[in-house]
Amino acid sequence: MDAVTYPDDRVTDFIQNTLIPLRISFNAQPFASQFNLKWTPTLIVLDSLGKEHQRTVGFLPPEELIPSLLLGIAKSHFDQERFNEALSMLEKIISDHPGSGSAPEAIYLRGVCGYKNTHNPKPLKEAFEYLQTHYPSSEWTKRAYPYRLL
Amino acid sequence: MATKIIWETDMESALKRARAEGKPILLDFYNPN
Repeated sequence: MDAVTYPDDRVTDFIQNTLIPLRISFNAQPFASQFNLKWTPTLIVLDSLGKEHQRTVGFLPPEELIPSLLLGIAKSHFDQERFNEALSMLEKIISDHPGSGSAPEAIYLRGVCGYKNTHNPKPLKEAFEYLQTHYPSSEWTKRAYPYRLL
Repeated sequence: MATKIIWETDMESALKRARAEGKPILLDFYNPN
């Protein structure tokens, strides 16, 4: 991460402007135990109370790290039932990073947020149809499969 | 444009900043060796 991803200007700007970056050694206690750390790099998105909302393990290149962090921020909003804020982050992933590994999950979660916002199942069905068309082999397409019937 | 990431190294300081700035935290567990 230090050699490739963090020095990338897009990554540096995104992290500095969007998040509070915190670095802790893998063996620093009590945090290594508190977060059940087993491998590095482990990246965790926390809210301002210190609650975990997303975790990734292993190297991510710049073009994957930014959408992954956007997804983590979206999940933080989602978990706190701020669905419109979550949708804003998810739309950025879908429009700006459609080829990233985070995009299919973002589409799935966009459908869930749409449903949570309206209690109308249409966004769930639309999520499946979009995933089926654009990401037919994604695990998120499989997870959305039941929504085809809505 | 930022030239490098300025990391917090203390959890409490990061949490305090997160609350003040309304931002989530990116916690990077790394191997310094």
